Amino acid sequence: MPDRPLQKVCYVEDDDDIQRIARLALERVGKMEVSIIGDPTAAIDGILAFKPDLVLLDWMMPVMDGPTLFKRMREIDSLRDMPVVFITAKASQRELEELRGMGVAGVLSKPFSPKDLPEQLRAIWRELP
Amino acid sequence: MTSGSAAPVDLTPTPEANARAADGSGRADPQRVLADRVDQLYSQMPLGMLAHLLIGGIATYELWDERTRDLVLFWWGLVLLVTAARAVLYFGYRASANKTGETEQWMRWLAISALASGVTWGFAGAVFFPSHTDEQQVFLAFLLAGVASAGIPAYAASWPMFAMYAGVIVLPFTYVLANFGNRLFTEIALLVPFFYLINVGIAYRLNRVFLSGYRLRHAYDRLTEDHTRLNKQLEQQIEDLLEARQEVEASGRKLTLFAERAPISVIEMDANSTILEVNPAAENMLGYSTLELIGRSALNTLFPADETTLTPAWWAHFVSHREPVNRLRARCLRRDGLEVDCEFSITPLVNDAGDLVSIIAQCQDITQQLEAERLKKEFTATLSHELRTPLTSIIGSLQLVTSGVVGEVGGEISELATVAERNAQRLLDLINDLLDIDKIESGKFTLAPESIQLSELVQEALILNKSYADRFRVKLEVRGTVPDVRVRVDRKRLMQVMTNLLSNAAKFSPEGSAVEVSTRCTDGIVRVEVSDRGPGIPDEFRARMFTRFAQADSTTTRNKGGTGLGLAISKRLIELMSGHIGFDSRTGGGATFHFELPALTDAISP
Repeated sequence: MPDRPLQKVCYVEDDDDIQRIARLALERVGKMEVSIIGDPTAAIDGILAFKPDLVLLDWMMPVMDGPTLFKRMREIDSLRDMPVVFITAKASQRELEELRGMGVAGVLSKPFSPKDLPEQLRAIWRELP
Repeated sequence: MTSGSAAPVDLTPTPEANARAADGSGRADPQRVLADRVDQLYSQMPLGMLAHLLIGGIATYELWDERTRDLVLFWWGLVLLVTAARAVLYFGYRASANKTGETEQWMRWLAISALASGVTWGFAGAVFFPSHTDEQQVFLAFLLAGVASAGIPAYAASWPMFAMYAGVIVLPFTYVLANFGNRLFTEIALLVPFFYLINVGIAYRLNRVFLSGYRLRHAYDRLTEDHTRLNKQLEQQIEDLLEARQEVEASGRKLTLFAERAPISVIEMDANSTILEVNPAAENMLGYSTLELIGRSALNTLFPADETTLTPAWWAHFVSHREPVNRLRARCLRRDGLEVDCEFSITPLVNDAGDLVSIIAQCQDITQQLEAERLKKEFTATLSHELRTPLTSIIGSLQLVTSGVVGEVGGEISELATVAERNAQRLLDLINDLLDIDKIESGKFTLAPESIQLSELVQEALILNKSYADRFRVKLEVRGTVPDVRVRVDRKRLMQVMTNLLSNAAKFSPEGSAVEVSTRCTDGIVRVEVSDRGPGIPDEFRARMFTRFAQADSTTTRNKGGTGLGLAISKRLIELMSGHIGFDSRTGGGATFHFELPALTDAISP
């Protein structure tokens, strides 16, 4: 368990509406500092600039999907140990297993509950080594 | 074949049987030969008796004189008596119903009669010869020679009988001649036995001829019988064969009809995959005519591109193992160069001797089926992603409104937002349920089983469903104590089942009542029951209880919510966990749903 509380979260998500809801949930309910990135190809730069505690990744995005972005992040030294949580509307059990096998910190399903989202992320945060 | 009765006929006699058949001895039945001889001997009797009386009468007349009147009369009486006795014997034989069964007896009686007949003539020779004139002596000698030699044909069927008959005639006569004292008579006496022996010899020869004649006759009868029997058997066999052929032809026509009219392609091949025959459905599917296909290698023509399934190596293995293959999928090359996905059933046809006669492949074009499967998969994925994404925004927005995160809203706005949120949630439930059932039915569903304390499950389920039950003002209660037992289940999925049963019970319960959960464990089976005090389940609905979209009253969906998939999914989930689900209900008396799962024993629980 990390020695500090979860404070800064970066969410990579292409859907504008979900972006807004997530921002409201994390900022208003979770009292967290949030950076939303809409373009996955610009995500690496955004994450490096924002330096979040944890990154939330959407699975299905145009141009570059979540898993690809995740692998890219793993290739960058400063992002290799960054905790990543996937948030996905895909329900396939096999794909979820695959994600966990890739060293993902957690998987949340869409639709998520804005009320519960901050607490769900904090629970994952507490479980981290 | 309807008749298996015709025994196989051996038409090739052995060489030794041939040798025996030549003289008839081998095939003639001695008993029947004897019967024939007796018959022959008796058939000579009327003539013998007539001759006996005639010659006896003439002799009586010739020998009659005052001196010997009594003796001649006695002799004539003897002749009549013997003839009468023989007549009785003759008619007795003729009237007998069982001639063959008592052949030897009849033979003996005939021998006695022959002896008696011979004795009458022997008596005449011995008694009358010395006492009569020279002319009468000549008459007597002539008479005796006549009756003795007449015995040859009469007794031709039995030379010993002739020997006996002639012996009793000749012996006393020879004795009388020898003791007469006359040189001429003494010389005749020496010749008579010689003639007698010659006659017996002739009788013996004749007897042999008769015997072999009879045997040949019998052998011929036997052969004729055999021949007739063989002919009958052959006729029967030919008839059976014809019948069998008709049956085979009929079933052949039926099979041909099946193959011709079947919508499934049928291809017959030999062990080298050379095509022997195809049906019209195969012609249509492959785009070749029958004539184009016959003689071609199926492997080279139809599967040149298929490198995974129907390869020459696979074929070689199939031909050597000869085990039928079902649902084999392979890509098949049509004449026009297009490829079709096919599903094959390949069956080796092996005869009784164990030889591979041919190989029958039945196949169906499943291109459309595969396309449908692909579309369904695509649709499921779309359903999953494209419907959930907007729902995420809808539910999220409404939740943020109703929870007051974005500022307090009151009264009707809050109420309406709650209605909208609940219905969006229902839409999401429906999507999740549809995806679940699809996964379960396509066999892609995997469970994550773990060992869980039963009481823990029950408590968790009650907590999770409390808020839902509250909406209907229904309490959820545990009745009695939960046994201390563990079950091996997928926690999330069993919770889904519990939630389904509890929410159904709450939904149908009257306000203010309680839904009771009771548990027990007997014989290693854990049983969980959920009872409500609702209206119960209508009789006509019980059979459809666990089918998809089954709801007793379609208005319920609108009034109470629910997708109609919950119980169908629950049943499949419980069955995947090696359990059983059921219900018990009286209309108007509440309903009790239960499921049973195997309890974990200490020995195997972690």
